[in-house]
Amino acid sequence: MKKLTSLFLSLLIVTGFTGCTQNNAQQNSDSGNNNSAKIGDVSVFYYTYSDTYISSVRSAMDKELKDAGLKYQNYDANGNQTTQTEQVQTAIAKGASVLAVNIVDTGSNDAAQNIVNLAKAKNIPVIFFNRSVDESVIKSYDKCLMVGTDYEMAGHMQGEMIGNYLVDNYNSVDLNGDGKISYVMFKGQEGNLEAIARTQYGVEDADKILTQAGKPELLFYDEANQNRYLVDQDGTWSSAAATDYMGTILAQYSENSNNMVELVIANNDEMALGAIAALQAAGYNNGTGKTIPVFGVDATQAAQARIADGTMTGTIKQDAEGMADALVDVTENFIEGDSVFDGIDEENIVGNWRINIPYEKYTG
Amino acid sequence: MSDNSIMPQGKFSAFRELPGKDRKRILTDALFNNAMYIIIAFAIIFITIRVPAFLSLSSVVNIISLTASKLPIALGIAGCIVLTGTDISAGRAVGLTACVSASLLQIAGYPNKMFPDLGVMPLWAVFLIVIAIGAVVGLVNGFFVAKFKLHPFIVTLSTQLIIFGTILMYLMIGTNNGQTLSGLDESYTDFIRGTLFTIGGVAVPKYILYSLIITILMWIIWNKTKFGKNMFAVGSNEEAANVSGVNVFLTIVSVFILAGIMYGITGFIEGARIASSSASTGINYESDAIAACVIGGVSFVGGTGKISGVVIGVFLLQIIFVGLNFLSVSANMLYIIKGAIILAACAVDMRKYLARK
Repeated sequence: MKKLTSLFLSLLIVTGFTGCTQNNAQQNSDSGNNNSAKIGDVSVFYYTYSDTYISSVRSAMDKELKDAGLKYQNYDANGNQTTQTEQVQTAIAKGASVLAVNIVDTGSNDAAQNIVNLAKAKNIPVIFFNRSVDESVIKSYDKCLMVGTDYEMAGHMQGEMIGNYLVDNYNSVDLNGDGKISYVMFKGQEGNLEAIARTQYGVEDADKILTQAGKPELLFYDEANQNRYLVDQDGTWSSAAATDYMGTILAQYSENSNNMVELVIANNDEMALGAIAALQAAGYNNGTGKTIPVFGVDATQAAQARIADGTMTGTIKQDAEGMADALVDVTENFIEGDSVFDGIDEENIVGNWRINIPYEKYTG
Repeated sequence: MSDNSIMPQGKFSAFRELPGKDRKRILTDALFNNAMYIIIAFAIIFITIRVPAFLSLSSVVNIISLTASKLPIALGIAGCIVLTGTDISAGRAVGLTACVSASLLQIAGYPNKMFPDLGVMPLWAVFLIVIAIGAVVGLVNGFFVAKFKLHPFIVTLSTQLIIFGTILMYLMIGTNNGQTLSGLDESYTDFIRGTLFTIGGVAVPKYILYSLIITILMWIIWNKTKFGKNMFAVGSNEEAANVSGVNVFLTIVSVFILAGIMYGITGFIEGARIASSSASTGINYESDAIAACVIGGVSFVGGTGKISGVVIGVFLLQIIFVGLNFLSVSANMLYIIKGAIILAACAVDMRKYLARK
């Protein structure tokens, strides 16, 4: 029996490894490396595979890289900067040709600078993408570039969208007719620049438009809450956090007591969908009857479907394909030694160190 | 358990005749043994004075719903803790089963349906599938724990990674590309979060009933079956249990399978309750569940624990969550309060254990 088990275990391990190697071989032939001048892999480091938006970037990247005939290798840092830095070291040791890094730690420059220094020592180009890295870090190395979004822009656009929507539909949104709109804001994570900007501008910009139209500013549903937002305590921008919060809010605030929350703003679509689930349980946003306007960011497919059936109001689209497109263009330019910004839309280039992929409003 | 330390009821006169020292000891023991109930009572009174709406009907229903949604996973983990183990793969198992449930129960013709040709599967079939998935997770966990005498922490640390990888691969199926699974069929959402009955204008969701049934079933399994007795025997002393003819291997594997089934049920409920499942669904669920068990007196020392304790533990955590929201306290405080309560609960628990020794 003992022998049998150990045999079984060894078999498991062996098949595991051969399984992996087969996969790798397949990937290599898949990516069809016809151009022998291109040495080494394009190594792409994602901050976490669990992020829905990053998953769309990854699928778009895989496709673009394959189409461009480049060999590539993906890494998942699973939200851990130490893991990512070690992955970068491994890739450099393996002889990577270009590093595309979706940095984990955006709180300080150290992690990004560390990666730049590692790459600089071996003269390997580094392209940071999606999560922002400081100008000083990028400019410390001539083969370094940032492909991102203007991280404040999503918040600004969301605020503008909300402001305009409210000006057009003020009376129907103002359920208790007190002349003010009470709202709730769901923040994805503490200490994340994008979350902070979205939380701030989503409301501020809406207020500007409301004030211009002669309407009062938005009112946070709970006056005692000094933060003016509710945050996912696990920092995962998750729908579950929004569902639990929204359910708790609806237990205390309702139309019957004349203090119903009249507007829901979320940092991302996941949280928007979570809030909708709780609203639906309370009899709102079911397609028929009353709908509380809910706004998100990302335009995930699930959110687009919600907007199409009228249970969600609007979102801001982060262009995953556009980002992958720009990334692969720049990668090719680095490999072929062309000018770095070849083939990039000029109005998206910022100060010779950064490419910003524009956001779009999405209301169906 | 420690019957000698609890004041016998209806013997107040006898209590008064005791010397002062004994009286004091009995009182402090009673205080410690019921610490959680006292904390809950104080918390409720304090929050209600500050925000009276805390005890309104809709708020009570909300707290009970939150408790119900988090109960099955905690009941599952509790069994593993009784065996002096733990299970940190629980959250990921919930995530996987939630994703599978959601993917199999999307509306026919939904634009981003994972399996476009599937239509909508019958609920019972999906329920059986996710229970089977949970059971397989439990089987693997239990097998490695029982067969190789590995600590459950290590085993479930490994399986948690394997499950996460599986979730990521599962979400890449078809044209899904790692996207959130949404667009659920009404039969599914109605079965879980539809209205069971309306009381005073407040709708009570159906999953409260399911959670209640599961709790009763688990109570029967723990207290009225041979398997339950074996579980406690193995938990308090594996060697002794083995000598007295308990099949230790089978008991451990069964406890983990039962836990896995609970995760499957939790996933099935969460899939519809939240209505959008992604790779981050279920993350960290196990830490709350383990905390709830510990707070409720399911001891890491093994061999002790009650279903009612688990329910109380989950309930207390939800009271803190809702209460701090009602009090508009910053989320930062929640971590601190939660940490302090878990620490206090463990200390009280160990005090009992040491006293018994």
